Amino acid sequence: MIETVQLKKQFKEVQALSGLSFQANDGQITGLLGPNGAGKTTCLRIIYGLLQADAGQALIAGIDASQKPLAARQEIGIFPDKFGLYERLTVREQVQYFACLQGLSLNQAEQATQQVIDELDMQALADRRSAGFSQGQRMKVALAQAIVHRPGHLILDEPSRGLDVMSTRILRGLLRELKQQGTCILFSSHVMQEVAALCDNVVVMANGQVAAQGTPEQLCQLTGEAALEDAFVKIIGSDEGIAA
Amino acid sequence: MSRAIVTVWKKEMRDAMRDRRSFMAAMGYAFFGPILMAIAFFFLIEQLSDRSAVAIDIEGAESAPNFAQFLTSQDIIQRQQAWPQGQQPITLSIPETWQSAMADGESVEVILRADFSAQKQRSDIERVQRAVQAYSTQVASMRLLMRGIEPQLVSPLTLQKQDLATAGSRAAMIMGSVLVFIILSVFWSGMNVAIDISAGERERHSLEFLLAQPLSSQALVWGKALTASTFALFGALLSLTIIPIVFSFVPLAQIGISMTLTAPMLLSMFLQLIPLALLATALQLFVSFRAKNFKEAQTYISFLLMVPMLAVFGVEFARIKSTVLAYLPLTGQHQAFLSLIRGEALNTVGVLVSALLTLVLSVGLLSYIGRMLKSEKTVFGL
Repeated sequence: MIETVQLKKQFKEVQALSGLSFQANDGQITGLLGPNGAGKTTCLRIIYGLLQADAGQALIAGIDASQKPLAARQEIGIFPDKFGLYERLTVREQVQYFACLQGLSLNQAEQATQQVIDELDMQALADRRSAGFSQGQRMKVALAQAIVHRPGHLILDEPSRGLDVMSTRILRGLLRELKQQGTCILFSSHVMQEVAALCDNVVVMANGQVAAQGTPEQLCQLTGEAALEDAFVKIIGSDEGIAA
Repeated sequence: MSRAIVTVWKKEMRDAMRDRRSFMAAMGYAFFGPILMAIAFFFLIEQLSDRSAVAIDIEGAESAPNFAQFLTSQDIIQRQQAWPQGQQPITLSIPETWQSAMADGESVEVILRADFSAQKQRSDIERVQRAVQAYSTQVASMRLLMRGIEPQLVSPLTLQKQDLATAGSRAAMIMGSVLVFIILSVFWSGMNVAIDISAGERERHSLEFLLAQPLSSQALVWGKALTASTFALFGALLSLTIIPIVFSFVPLAQIGISMTLTAPMLLSMFLQLIPLALLATALQLFVSFRAKNFKEAQTYISFLLMVPMLAVFGVEFARIKSTVLAYLPLTGQHQAFLSLIRGEALNTVGVLVSALLTLVLSVGLLSYIGRMLKSEKTVFGL
C-alpha cells in the first residue's frame, strides 16, 4: 500500500504540492490524473525518496522513504519520468544490472531477467545494445528494469507515452497481471483513455492537491458527465464544487 | 555494501570498456605521450650536440694539403668573411717548409695566433688546438709504425673527457617533464570515464532511476570511483611500461644524462600512484557530478588538470625546498619520484605519510560526493 499524508513541497516560489493525501491499495491500479504541472512527478519522487517533502509523509508498505530510503526502495519498482538507457549495454545486461542492485544474487538475477524478457516479448531485442532503439523499445526496457525484481509496489510516471498500439496492449496486459498478483500499482497520466481503461481508483490532482478521488464511474457520476474526460475537465475547472 | 560496489564496478567497467572514446583517452595518452616526448628530446639532443664549423684564417694551407684536409674534416675551415668588430682573428700559420720537414721526420712549427683570454673564442681556440694535437698524434703514430714501434707505447694513458657543463640543468628539465608526465597519467587516463559515469549519467537521464535503487549512494560512488581509478591505473601502468622502452632509443647519454628506470623503481612508482589515482578520480567525480552535462564537466575538468601540473611545476620552478612537501599528497609522490630517479634513498616515512594523506583525502571527498547525491539540489540541479 502506498499512502501520502498532507504532502507539501515548495520549489522556490512555486508551491508544487499543498497538502496532498491519497491512498493506493494493494491489488489495485491507482491512476494519478492531472494536467501538466499539477505536481504528479514531484509527488512520485517524494514517494521513492529522491525529493524531501517540506511537510507530511509518504509511506510505502508503512515505510517512510525519507527515513529509510533503502528499505522503502526495496519494496518498489520505478518507471521514472525521464529514463535513459546505457546504450553500450545489451538489454539483458542492463536489466540484470538493476536486478543485482535490487539485491538478487547473480543466478536469481539471470533467471528473473530471462523471465521478464519473455513476459514483455523482447526476445529479439534481448542481446542487442540499446543504442538506436525506438521510443517504444526503450520504454519496454525501462519497464523490464522496473519489474525485474517482482516488487510489491510499482510506480510509473506516464508509462504509455510513445508506445504503439501493440506495446500499449502489452503494457496493459502486464499491469493487469501484476494487479492480479496483488501488486500495488500507482501510475501518473494525463491520458484519459488510459486511466479509464485500467484504473480501479483515480486520484485527480490539481494545484498540488487532490481534487477528486474514486473509480472512473464514481467520478463521472460526481460530475454528471458521461465521459471521464469531461468529468476531468469539470473537476479541474471548477474544483470548488467538487472539493466541498 | 561491498556487493553493491562490486556490482556497480563490474557494470561500469563493462560499459566503459565498450566506450571507444574513454578507451582511446586512456590508451592514447600512455602510448603517444612518451613517443612525442621522445621525439622532442631527440631533436633537443640533436641540437645540443650539433657542432657548427669553426672558421679561422689558415695561412699557408697550400703547402700542407693533407693537414688542411684533416682540419676540414674536423670542421675547421678557412674563414671567408671578415672578423667582427672587437674580436681578434684566430690565425693558424703553416710554414712553407712543411713538406720537406715532414719528409725528413722533423718537427714543424705551426703557429696559432689568437687572443687566448677571449671567453667567447675559447671553445673555438680549443678545438683548433685539439685538431692540431690530433693530427700530430696521427703523424707520430705513423712514424712509429714505420719504424716498427707500437704507437700505444708512447701513450700509456688515454683521457676520456665528457662535458657535463650544461647537462645538469637540461637533465633536470627532461627528468622533470618525464615525472610530471607519469604523475599526470593517473589524472588523464581515468578522466573520460569519470565524466561519463557522472555527468554522462545525468545527461542521458539515467541518474534518477539509478539513485532510486536500494543501494546507498556511498556504495554507488565507490563503485564508480573504483571504475575510473582502474582506468587511471591502467594508463599509469602503460606509461610506466612504455617510457623506459621508448627512452632507451633516445641518446640521452650524449648530453650526459643517465636515466635508468629499473623494474623495482617502476614498481615503487606504480604503488605510489595507487592512492593518487583514487584522489584524481575523486576530484574528477566531485567536479563532474556538479556539472549539468558532459561538455560542462569537460570544461571544469580541464581546469582540474592544471592542479597537478601547477603543484609539480610550481615546486620545481619556484625551487621551493620545504620538507613538508614530501608529506603532502601529490608533491609527496613527486618528491619520492625525484629521489628514485636520482638514485637517492627514499624518504620512507614521507612516502607513507603522503600516501596515507592522499587516501584520507580521497575517502573524505568520496563520502562527501555520496552525501551530495542524497541532496535533491545536486540530483535534480534545483
